[in-house]
Amino acid sequence: MSPAGWSGQFSFDAIGTSWRIDTPGELPPEIRDDVEDVIRDYDAVYSRFRSDSRIAVLASGGGEVNLPPSGEALGTLYRTLHRLTRGGMSPLVGGPLEHLGYDAGYSFTPQGPPMPAAAWDESFQWLGTTIRSRRPVTLDVGAAGKGQLVDLVSEYLHRAGHPHHTVDAGGDMRHCGPDTLRIALEHPYAPDTAIGVVDLRDRALCASASNRRRWADGLHHVLDATTGHCVDTVVATWVLADDALVADALATALFLAPPEVLLTEFDFDYVRISSEGQALYSSSLAGALF
Amino acid sequence: MTHAVKKPHQRWALTGLAALSLLGSAACAASPTPSPGAGGGAGGDAANAAEPTSGAGGEAGYTDGMFSATGSYQTPGGEESIGVTVTLESGIVSDVQTEPMPSNGTTELYQGKFSSGIREQIVGTPLDDLSVDKVSGSSLTSGGFRTAIEQIKTEAAQ
Repeated sequence: MSPAGWSGQFSFDAIGTSWRIDTPGELPPEIRDDVEDVIRDYDAVYSRFRSDSRIAVLASGGGEVNLPPSGEALGTLYRTLHRLTRGGMSPLVGGPLEHLGYDAGYSFTPQGPPMPAAAWDESFQWLGTTIRSRRPVTLDVGAAGKGQLVDLVSEYLHRAGHPHHTVDAGGDMRHCGPDTLRIALEHPYAPDTAIGVVDLRDRALCASASNRRRWADGLHHVLDATTGHCVDTVVATWVLADDALVADALATALFLAPPEVLLTEFDFDYVRISSEGQALYSSSLAGALF
Repeated sequence: MTHAVKKPHQRWALTGLAALSLLGSAACAASPTPSPGAGGGAGGDAANAAEPTSGAGGEAGYTDGMFSATGSYQTPGGEESIGVTVTLESGIVSDVQTEPMPSNGTTELYQGKFSSGIREQIVGTPLDDLSVDKVSGSSLTSGGFRTAIEQIKTEAAQ
């Protein structure tokens, strides 16, 4: 299950998922340490599951937070997708997620009926690498953060002299190298089967699914921020894009907006599975599904 | 404001799309009702239906088979066409293929970008039967979440 001819394999667990980095040769120990530092640093800024993260101050009363340089691209992307999904996708979805029980203590106990996220209005600003909020808000960048982290690890490996690699964080991945990878798309209801196979080369592939991360009464983590309700019309999405930040974010956005709307501003390929088992896909992936 | 001269072409394309969505909704409405003589009922796996239904059409009254049409529309660069092929099985749209027919570069870009397909029912193939490098999907994501859920289940069982 590793790319042909590549012998380097670095596997570890971080931010609640299994990571695997494949390279033509073994990565030296110091490079591995640095990779884990990249992930640790990111988590220390954005985790809503840690009371000591940099964004935690926003939840306890609002205020100002300075982000690392990557925060600018993240904020810009969220702002664009917030507009294209008419507010359905928002970094302020952390509040409603906690409310439904997906909280820092993993209580999985809803505190009441769904409630909408705080509006992204003038009281909340994400400009460049600065976030300012005039009221308490729970930020959740889970819809794009893992993808951006995959990109950051990939960029680090480039800088460290390892330009050929696959960075895979639990199925969200970015590939850089001369050989095409064949990736199976896992059946949303039958994980030992695949609904198709896509080719991946010098691109990112990210998936989102609502049917596995579920708790009480079929609640799951993909919410419409305008209502706080779980989105139940789509069960799984895959997006191929040039980088994992965009692929990851669009995989969630496809739960909240039709592909045509997102295609007006982004270049990507996709497969979207409805709760009735219907697949909608971009024409270039016509041969990918069985 | 309106450019009446260009409308007929545009309307043709729009009518084509409207017809497609009508087919879709008719099929959806019909599917919960078991069709006479069909063993598993109409809600089954359309893509896996091996034998074509002889009566065809189903409740919706459409004949099974593949149907193709070409729609044309005006662009600033002239008239452009796009082909649409719809496959009907037991009165249900089981596949839609679009064929871009661009005559200039800009159209090629846009038609390629927005051209899409629909598979009425996904079909699983065992992973063991496939030669792949990796798997992408939901069971691999968020180990922490699953660990937490498992822990809760264990605690709740005690």
